Amino acid sequence: MAVYKRGYQRYEGPRTSHMARLLVMPREAWRRVSGQRIVTALIAVSCIWPLLCALFIYVSNHTELWAGMGGDFRKLLAIDASFFLTFMKVQSVISVLLAALAGPGLIAPDLGNQGLGLYFSRPISRLEYALAKMAALVWLLSLVTWVPGLALFLMQVSMAPAGWAAEHWTVGAAVVFGFWQWVALVALVGLASSAWVRWRLIAGAAVLGYFFVLSGIGVLVNAIFRVEWGDLINPLRASYGLWCVLAGAELPRGLSLPTALLALALMGSLLALALERRLRPVEVVR
Amino acid sequence: MSAQEIVFENVSKFYGDVLGVNRIDLRIPPGLTSIVGPNGAGKSTLMNLMCGLIHPDRGEIRVLGISPREPERLMRITGYATQFDAAPRWATGFDFVASSLLLFGYSASLAERLAWRALEQVGLTEAARRKVISYSKGMRQRVRLAQALAHDPQVLVLDEPLNGLDPVVRAETIALFRQLAAEGRHVLISSHVLQEVDAISDRVVLMANGMIVAEGDIRGVREEIHEHPSQFLIRCAQPSRLAALLFERGPVAEVRLLEEDGALLALTRDRRAFTRTLTLLAAEGLPVETIVPADENVHALYEYLIGGSA
Repeated sequence: MAVYKRGYQRYEGPRTSHMARLLVMPREAWRRVSGQRIVTALIAVSCIWPLLCALFIYVSNHTELWAGMGGDFRKLLAIDASFFLTFMKVQSVISVLLAALAGPGLIAPDLGNQGLGLYFSRPISRLEYALAKMAALVWLLSLVTWVPGLALFLMQVSMAPAGWAAEHWTVGAAVVFGFWQWVALVALVGLASSAWVRWRLIAGAAVLGYFFVLSGIGVLVNAIFRVEWGDLINPLRASYGLWCVLAGAELPRGLSLPTALLALALMGSLLALALERRLRPVEVVR
Repeated sequence: MSAQEIVFENVSKFYGDVLGVNRIDLRIPPGLTSIVGPNGAGKSTLMNLMCGLIHPDRGEIRVLGISPREPERLMRITGYATQFDAAPRWATGFDFVASSLLLFGYSASLAERLAWRALEQVGLTEAARRKVISYSKGMRQRVRLAQALAHDPQVLVLDEPLNGLDPVVRAETIALFRQLAAEGRHVLISSHVLQEVDAISDRVVLMANGMIVAEGDIRGVREEIHEHPSQFLIRCAQPSRLAALLFERGPVAEVRLLEEDGALLALTRDRRAFTRTLTLLAAEGLPVETIVPADENVHALYEYLIGGSA
């Protein structure tokens, strides 16, 4: 029988806060994501459309630049809900491309290495792990969605005649909240594909497929069967419907708000469930 | 339940229809404990259960009085290294260990200091700034060990920690385990290589088919196995005479003269009477040089209890 000196002393000193600990993972993930040249390049490309929109807002609010033009031209240069909804459409496509590039590298390597056990043997829950990984993607997607969107809205508010902001505040809300919903959905798809598909290229394709192929199928289902439930699998249409409602614009034909909300809730739940099924500290081989 | 032991009480874990572990009753005191068994015996499941990575379907576990369902408290006192090559390949060895410390809530400066200390303990200081992807298998094993040790845990749970280590590093690592155990910590290692745990463990837990087939110190376990006679390897200048005298006076079941000069193997069912007889024979002037128990090792226990060699 061994005799032990029991000289061990446990560390009892101060510790950082729970939030500070949680931020370790997103910081690490962000370092990896932002280290990819193609991601940096795409972020640079994603600035083009906001810059063009900013130029448009500038021109629109400087009447002296287009003095003498007709009423139709004046209507063309109007900054309203439809202008911001168009902006959101373009940026949302770019955000999907970004998620397809950056998302696959977030969880797949940990799963491939069977490394989840190492994370979960720290004081971190599965939910916190998922949120921490998601935070890196949310931060990245924010750079191309609601951040430039809000900047454009504030630019318009500052340049537009008095009263524009009061009349169009719902547009600002649509830009922020609509993009938050979008970013959450895209990030969930990015994480779920990373959790389920080990190969980076295929995981990226799965993200693109989710948004573009699934939307196409939804449209086809509606057209062929003359039904409306195809909208339930169409993430682009459901999200756009919500943005329209938030911005106070007309909903796309055939889409109702309850259908859009139901579709988004369904997708969010299924994606969260897909993540939950994969984020296990121990992989059981049956 | 004891606050100084790891306690399993009637613990069962099933993965669907697949048995993980079944009806485990076990108390593990401080020291170096080896969990031994063939692949699929339930070693990793037992370790994952005590780390709170999975939860039992039945029964209760306490690690030094803490339930694995309290991860915030449990993780502070446990250090875990998986058997898998789990270190992120894009990170440097130092970053991997330091970031794991940040997750435990250490400040950046303290995490850096502790990370260097852990890397030094496993002999990875020089390679610390290299990426894990460039490490050899043994180095990856060591960096996993470093992250398990870095926060100075009271309970170290190490799944197959000696796999892939070269003989020198293996000896150094074993010495480190001994040192940690001597400080009063629980050091639990799993292995399917019997020889290595035989040499280093204070106690062994033998597992097969999700159940514990024996546990305790190796000699104690051996003494409990009555159906197999104990074996002693004896060296003596007059082996034939000794064999005859043992048959005449001692409670021996069998004696074999070995090919090696002056060596014989004696099998007995009464260890005490046998050793008493041998002592008397030596006192009477028979030139007995050494007496070594030949089956007080994990390998023999394994064969007796599980019926095969690993």
